Parts: sequence; C-alpha cells; structure tokens
Amino acid sequence: MTTQIEFSGVNKHYGAYHALKDINLSIDKGSFVALVGPSGCGKSTLLRSLAGLEKITGGDISIAGEVVTTLPPRKRDVAMVFQSYALYPHMTVEENLTYSLRVHGVSKGERKKAAAEVAATTGLSDLLHRYPRELSGGQRQRVAMSRAIIRNPKAFLFDEPLSNLDAALRVHMRKEIRALHDRLGATSVYVTHDQIEAMTMADHVVVLRAGIIEQQGRPLDLYDKPANKFVAGFIGSPAMNFLPATVAEGRAATIDLGKGPIRLTIPVAAPIGSSVLIGIRPEHITLTAPGEGRFDAPVAFTESTGSTTFVSTATNPELMVVETGRRMVANGDLVGLAFADTAVHVFDGATEKRL
Amino acid sequence: MSETFRNRLLLVIALLLAAIYLFPLYWMYITALKTGSEMFATPPSFWPDDPQWSIFPFVFQLKGMGRFLWNSVVIASGSVALIAVLGTGAAYVLARYRNAWVDVGLFLVLMLQVLPASLMITPIFVLFTLTGILDFPRTAVILAIAAKSMPFFIVLVRATFMSVPMELEEAALVDGNSRIGAFWSIVLPLARNGILVSAILIFMQAFGEFVYSKSLIQEIELQPSSVGLNAFMGPNTNEWNRIMAFASIYVTPILATFVLLQRRIVSGLTSGALK
Amino acid sequence: MRRLYSSLVDGRGFDLCLIGIPLAFLIVLSGVPLIYNVVMSFQAVDMFSLGSFIRPWVGFENYRQLIAQPEFWPIMGHTATFLAASIAGQFLLGFALALFFWTNFPGASWLRGLFLVSWVMPGLVVGAVWNWLLSGDFGVFNFVLRELHIISDNVFWRSDPAFALWSVIIANIWLGASFNMILLSVGLSSIPDDLYEAAELDGAGALTRFWTITLPMMRSTIGALISLGLIFTLQQFDLFAAITAGGPNNSSNVAQYWAWDLSFKQYDFANGAAISVIMIVVVMLASVYYVRSTRHEVRG
Repeated sequence: MTTQIEFSGVNKHYGAYHALKDINLSIDKGSFVALVGPSGCGKSTLLRSLAGLEKITGGDISIAGEVVTTLPPRKRDVAMVFQSYALYPHMTVEENLTYSLRVHGVSKGERKKAAAEVAATTGLSDLLHRYPRELSGGQRQRVAMSRAIIRNPKAFLFDEPLSNLDAALRVHMRKEIRALHDRLGATSVYVTHDQIEAMTMADHVVVLRAGIIEQQGRPLDLYDKPANKFVAGFIGSPAMNFLPATVAEGRAATIDLGKGPIRLTIPVAAPIGSSVLIGIRPEHITLTAPGEGRFDAPVAFTESTGSTTFVSTATNPELMVVETGRRMVANGDLVGLAFADTAVHVFDGATEKRL
Repeated sequence: MSETFRNRLLLVIALLLAAIYLFPLYWMYITALKTGSEMFATPPSFWPDDPQWSIFPFVFQLKGMGRFLWNSVVIASGSVALIAVLGTGAAYVLARYRNAWVDVGLFLVLMLQVLPASLMITPIFVLFTLTGILDFPRTAVILAIAAKSMPFFIVLVRATFMSVPMELEEAALVDGNSRIGAFWSIVLPLARNGILVSAILIFMQAFGEFVYSKSLIQEIELQPSSVGLNAFMGPNTNEWNRIMAFASIYVTPILATFVLLQRRIVSGLTSGALK
Repeated sequence: MRRLYSSLVDGRGFDLCLIGIPLAFLIVLSGVPLIYNVVMSFQAVDMFSLGSFIRPWVGFENYRQLIAQPEFWPIMGHTATFLAASIAGQFLLGFALALFFWTNFPGASWLRGLFLVSWVMPGLVVGAVWNWLLSGDFGVFNFVLRELHIISDNVFWRSDPAFALWSVIIANIWLGASFNMILLSVGLSSIPDDLYEAAELDGAGALTRFWTITLPMMRSTIGALISLGLIFTLQQFDLFAAITAGGPNNSSNVAQYWAWDLSFKQYDFANGAAISVIMIVVVMLASVYYVRSTRHEVRG
C-alpha cells in the first residue's frame, strides 16, 4: 500500500478561531476514507484544504508524493462532489461533464467521446443535452459524480453528497458510490455527519471533533473499541448507554440507578474507588423476566417500528434497550436486563478515555 | 362579490390611477401635437383637433436635435462602458467576501453614492480646469458621471453576484480553472442579466444627465439634449408645443426601453436598493 | 514575476486588482474633489486664481461671508421645507399606492412597474413638462383645480413667490412617489402571510393588523426609504433648473441650487465650495443612517 494523501501537522486558523488543530493523517492509495463528526468539527474544512479551496495556516499537505500546500486548486488534480452538486446552471449536462476537459484544452471530438462513455456507465446517456434545472435530484447527483469521474483524478473528494436526497435514494446511492469507487480503483475522501454512511461505505473512518482527530481506524474497530466516550457515543445508533460507576474490589464496579448500588464485573483493572463511566450499547442488552438479568428496572416508554422495539427504562440515568422483533411490555412493567461481560466498555471518569 | 368581479374592479381602479399618475406624460405628447392657438385655448382641449405631426421633424431640424441626441448617446455610452468595466470587478469582490475590509469598502462606496452632483461640480470644475481635462469636455463629463454613478452600479450588481452560489466558482477551480477563468466562464455568464439591467439603468440616468454637462461643456456642438432642452426653455417662452415636441423626441427612446424591459429593471432595482 | 503572475491568476492579486482599480478611480474623481472642496472653502478664490493650486488662506472668512448674506437663512429654510414636504409627499403617496397594489389582482405588478417611468425620465424633461402643466394662465393644473372648485382664480405657481417653491415640490413628489411605491411594495410582499393569518385568528381587525404587524415589520424598509428620500431630494437640481431657476427673487432657491448658482453664475467659487461643504455634511449624516437601516435589513 502506498500513501496517496498525507496531512502532516495541518493547522487552520480563522482569525482567533482554531478550526484544525495539528492534523496528521495519511490515506492509502485506493482506499475509501470517511471524515465524520458533528457539525463544526472541521471535517469540511479539512476536505476543502485538501482541494485547495482553503489556505491552511500551518503544516503540509501532499498528494501522490507531491507537496501541494501552496498550489491553487487547479494544480492539485483532485475532483470534488459538492453538497449542492454545484452544477453550472447555464451549461447542459454534457458541457458540465466536459468542463474540466475544456479547461485543459481537450479537443471537442475527444470531449464528446469522453462524455458519452461516462454517461453510459452512469445512466445519463439520454440526458446529455438537458440543463441541470430539468433534472431530478437523483439525476443531478449522478451528473455531479460523473463530472468527477470523467477526469480520472488523483483523488475524489465528496462533501456530504447525499444530504440533499430523500432517505430511500440515499441508501441506494451509498451502494452506488462505493461500487463506483471499487470499479475505478480510486482514492476517495468522503465527508459526512452521518455515522451510518461512514460505517457502511468506508474502509477507514476518521472521527473528528473540534478540529481534532478523536480516533481513526476500520469501521468495526471503532464500533468495538471506541477510544473515548465521544467516539463511543457518536458511532452506533441508538447511542451507547453511559452509567457513572465507582470501581470496587475484584474487577468490579458499582453503579447506582436510584435504587441502591448494583455490582457489575468490568473487563479491566482500575484503581479501587476511582470513578469511571460504564458504557453498554442498547443492542447488547436483552430483556428478561424480573430477577433473571443483571438487575431489574421499570419500563418508562416503548417505541416499536415493527421489526425493532426500543425500550427506555425509568431509571436515572435512563437506559435504552433495543430488541429485535416485537416485545410486549407495558409502561411501568418491571423487566430484567441481561448483557454479556464483553459488552461492557469502561471509560475513565475524568478524561473519558477508554480503560 | 365574486373573485373575478373583485379583480376586474381593482384592475379598473388601477388603470384609472395609472392614467391620472401618467397624465403629465400624455399632456406632453398632446401639447406637442397642438397648433399654437389650440395650445392656449380655455378650456384646454384634451384631444388635438388637428394633430400637427410635422412638428417633430420641424423641431428636430430647427434645434439640431441630431447633434444633441448624438452627444447624449456618446456621453451615456462612454459612462456606461467605463462604469461597467470598472464597477463589475469591484461589485464581485465586495460580494464574494465578508470581512471588515469589505465592510469598509462598502461603506465608502455607499457614501460616494450620495454626494449630490450640484455640490460636487464646483471642485470638479476647478480640478478639471487645473489638470486640463476640461479641454475635452465630453470626456470630462463622462469621467464625472462615471465617478458619480459607479457606486450605484456597484450596489446593484453586488446583489446579483451575491445570488451566484460560491460553490459554482469553487467547482470550476477544482475542475482545473484559474480564478480569472472561473470568473469569465462561470460567474460572469450567471450574473449577465443583472449586469445588463444595471447598465441599462445607468445608461438612462446618464442619458438624462444635466448638471455636469451644463457646467463643463461650453460649446453648443458638444452639448447633450438635456442642456439643449434647458436652453430652449427661456424664462418667458410661449413655444410650449415645440418644447414638448423636443421633450417627446428626447424621452421616447427611454420610455420605450423602460416599458419593454420593465419587469427586469424593476426587479434589478429592488434587489439592490434595499439589500 | 512568476509569483506576481500566479497571484493575479489564482490568488489574492486577482481580487486586489478588481477592487483596486475602481477604488483608485473613485478616490481620484470623488475623494480628491471632496477634500479639495473643503480646502477651497478656506481659500480666497476668484477668476484669476482659479488656475492655480496655491491661493491665500482665509480661514472661516468664506463661511462668515456666506452666513452674513441676507439670502442665507431664507435659502436654508426653503431647503428644509423642500426636503420635508418632498419626502412626506413622496412617501405618503407612494405608501398609499403600494397598499392599493398590494391587494394583488391580475396585472398588478406590471401596472405597478409602469408608474416608475416618472423616475427613469430625465429630470429636465420632468421639469419641462411640469413647468407647462403649472403655467399660470394656460396650465392644465390650474384648470383642473378650478373645475374641482379648489381655487377660484388662477395660481401663478412659478412666478408667485408664495408658490414657486411648491411648484418644484409638486413636480418632485410626482417624480419620486413611484420609486417609493416600488420599494414599499417589496417590503410589503416580504411580510409572511401566516403572520396575518395568526393575527386574524387572534381576533385582530384590518386596522389593528396594519398598526401591529404591517408598520412594525416595515420599520427598516421605511427607515431606509426615508433616508434614501433625503439623499435623492438633496440631489434634486434639474427640476429647479427647469421650473423656477431658484426665482423669483430666491423665493424657491435651495442650498444645492444656490451652490451651483454661486459658482457658475456669480463665479464665487469659494462661497460655492463653502455651502457645498455644509450640505455634504448633511448628506453624509443621512447616508450613515441609510447604511445602518439597510444593514439591519440584511441581518434581519
């Protein structure tokens, strides 16, 4: 594996605001990397810095071994799909697709040929002479993608490309973008605020918060071994349950849900008496008859989507449980909660880092 | 009361209001067509008995209006060209960025927009005399009008540029174009309509400009129609049909352009003046 | 050289170039005259020293002379009357028309736009037409007023010192009302309908809705428009030149016409500069207010 994109010590200031703090990240050739995080975390700034649309205030960026930090966008040879698609409204689909070729002085015949080829693979052949305003949202999305593909660039950059589509089309396009990436053997950097998109599409997920990389790795590694409370809560839906606890003797901790201390086994050693956070994913808890689980709790609220039932408990803090199938429990019922020892994550109470 | 009846009633009232409001224009055309005696009749006639169509070529000849109109066109075209070339770039930069410097620039531009021509003409006249620009009177007027009207053009065109999404330009940059290339091939074509409408508005203003032309141009052969019309109206004139004929010939091209492009001009004007 | 080129093509240089040239142009042709005007107002200027930069410094002598002139205070008074009456007239007529066209019937927006011809016409033509309309013996304006029994004898609008200023005000109201109407229409149509629906459900009548929703929501538009009116009215020169030329006996003279008259009819450039400086300060203050109200509009 060779490195295609490298950020080393990248910083970005907007006046007094520090948007990117010392980012180090290397992206392998041919990989699909998702930058994910809540809004304002710096993921879009990082992507735009890579494209050259933002000037970084410190550090270096290199693409395919060449340092591009001071180069304008046109000399970086990357393609970008914008959230708003940014299709040129005064040009037809064909002109949109071949704009970059025209800028680079490719002859008209060549351009037409290239447009026809790309359009055939993305299903736009019949739309080449339409204007963007005459297209549906999904078609516009395809044009934006095709405009990137036609150039065969060193990297594809995606800036939340699916956020303007409806839910069904979004799921469909996820697969399509990934399939395209595999077929082209391209290097892709994908920005999204939706952790499901990041988890399902990427080989490598980078979680950002407040201009800092919180954790990066393969999607399931992030799910199984979140490095801190933020990543644990951000990856996975519904979010992980967190319970404040005090470490007791014999690899155990006590939690208090309002009805006296409950003793739980934890998978790591920690100084006795220190405070920690216990994290358990809702999907790792199963409901049992009262007394048969780790502890009992009254039901506060249930929601069912038909295939899945979400149960919240009337405890402090509240616990969320996800059960597959339909589970007939009523508000106020007492239920038992069961989970495996391996489902328990432990975070330091002060630093929130994984123990 | 049914919807259609209400609409028709309102339309009739609106037409009536428009007729009253635009009566001065009607009176200008009608007076031009009247004979000398009909013009001073009491009660005045609201429709000419014997329309004197020949008055238009007569006044055109008599007053040498060809020359006046030509000078007006030269001055207006020169001003618009200068304003459009310089003002478009300024408007673009003021629209693209949002920071303290842009605020300062915008404030300066708005301040310059409000300086009354009749107050600025004194120093301009003296400075043009000193620098010798006054030896080229029409150029002097063009420069003065350009300085006066450019801020207004910048404000209007800036509003147009603001409506062009930034991402389009960024997409062009990533697609391999330079700033200049992206400006030419993406931003300018998309702002074309707004720029055209603003240029037309500026042309109309410059076509009717009076203060600078009156003060800076002494030679009759170089004066525009506004100065010609002013000279025609002596203090105790009674040639009103001829004056109105002069005014009609002068103003009709402007009115025609305005009526044809009304919708665009109005929307261009309203987007710029308040935002 | 390479770096300069690449900055012009790809970077900041492009923006600086686009903004720098027009800014330099404006500074040379508006900023310099503005400052020179102030300098001149402190100098002794006559026909002989017109062609030289260095002239005797006289301090506030020009201002003292100007204020000492018997016509100074009457002209300032006329200016104030002209401003107040023109702005009030343009605004009220414009608002009334805007409210009527707000009822939105087919053809409303086209007809509304047609009114704007009064504003796009050359000021001198407007002046010429109104000069004729307001003519004493044969003016159709007097005829209409007589038929409506508002007056019994002809009013000599242009030559009677009591009416001369008003003849210009009438023409100016006609010229500017349409512009007011168009901008007010935009303001009116930007008020969301559901506000009125909510108020109606709350039991507010038409008049209450106007006072409690329309006017407060229009506040920044109205503020911007009144200051724009002030700016435009202070710029109004052509109508004076075409209707009364400031006469008879200065009874319709206003500051902006006087400034020109002093410089170009009496060749008293120093006093012309002094009155210009005074008026420019007034305009600047109005425009600060205008800029602030439009800012408010944008940031909502």
